[in-house]
Amino acid sequence: MMKVNVKCFSQVQYALGQTELLVELENGSKASDLEKLIRIRAKGKLDDVSLRVAINKNYVNEDTELKDSDEVAFIPPVQGG
Amino acid sequence: MIITPKELNDQKDDLLIIDIRPSDQRTEFPLVELNSFVCGNEELTDIKEKKVLVCQYGIVTEGLIIENDLQNTFSLLGGAVAWNDFSDGYRDLSQWSRQTVLPEVGIDGQKKISKAKVTIVGMGGLGCPAAQSLLISGIGSLHLIDKDTVSLSNLHRQPLFTPKDIDCKKVDVAKKRLSVLNPNANIDITDMFLNNKNAKELVYGSDVIIDATDNIESRQVIDQISKKLDIPMVYGGLYRFEGQVSVFNVNGSPGYIELFPDTPSGGITCEDSGVLGMLPGIIGNIQALETLKLIIGIDPTLVGKILIYDAMNHKMRTIQL
Repeated sequence: MMKVNVKCFSQVQYALGQTELLVELENGSKASDLEKLIRIRAKGKLDDVSLRVAINKNYVNEDTELKDSDEVAFIPPVQGG
Repeated sequence: MIITPKELNDQKDDLLIIDIRPSDQRTEFPLVELNSFVCGNEELTDIKEKKVLVCQYGIVTEGLIIENDLQNTFSLLGGAVAWNDFSDGYRDLSQWSRQTVLPEVGIDGQKKISKAKVTIVGMGGLGCPAAQSLLISGIGSLHLIDKDTVSLSNLHRQPLFTPKDIDCKKVDVAKKRLSVLNPNANIDITDMFLNNKNAKELVYGSDVIIDATDNIESRQVIDQISKKLDIPMVYGGLYRFEGQVSVFNVNGSPGYIELFPDTPSGGITCEDSGVLGMLPGIIGNIQALETLKLIIGIDPTLVGKILIYDAMNHKMRTIQL
């Protein structure tokens, strides 16, 4: 098992009620696996929200494999101006 | 007391002009067309005539006047550097002496600013502070695009508008207010929303496009035309206490479509999600700052990166695109 630190931005932060959280995952899990988990925890509040994922402050493809202690951010588009 | 290069030029026959600079600075920027004489700081208190002190950037002389309580004495705003430029036929840039003294800006940078044209799409929470900051920084030309009218709920975050402006066209009011801030700037307005059909015509000739819109479709249109015409796009977005800024499409760098491919869903406007009035001021000013850096050519910028600012915890995070 491995642990990753998830940083929550804008709608993700409001949906989960946290600015960051520690998540335990099976070794070999991908960013897309973590995204599914985050969406489940959000209980439907992120169902219509597109998310981009960044690992250790770099945008990556959702197929990217996660490593222990990675810092993962899910970033939705923001529309306001 | 302060005197600008233009005022000095008008009154130079009635004033004693004293150059307090060391010889290497006098050689670098000689006071052409001025009858000046060199004098040490210690002798200044003995000179009772109406006089102007000149240093390289106009900062040392301001301090000298205050420290020594010199009467009847002016400091030349912007110093010899500003005079040199004025006498060279260029307009008086001494108003921006606190900017031009920065080595990263200088007189050359200020000239670039004064010749630049920036298009701002959207005159809402982001567009108002971005336009204000750019205009007072000396930007030569602004083009403001928006079809909206002012509403009561805009006022807490859009400082160019007052309760008397409700139902007036935003671009009309903005032009009126901004013109007062810098009468020399050229301000064009377009009372339309930007779309695929009019985008090329509206942004053509701009040096930078500021995306101050409030919807994803407009951001995509700006991204497309920015790529097509090779004009950098300075993006800003807001959600409650959070703001995003990035600089897109500079020499092939990533754009909005690379950040959010296809048509992203879930973006919520300020009208729906709410926003504190200060946040658009902060984000709009960061957009203006990035715009100036692009115009002058200062690195580093937010090209290829996105800045996320959390106003609740005052945390800034930069993510590589």
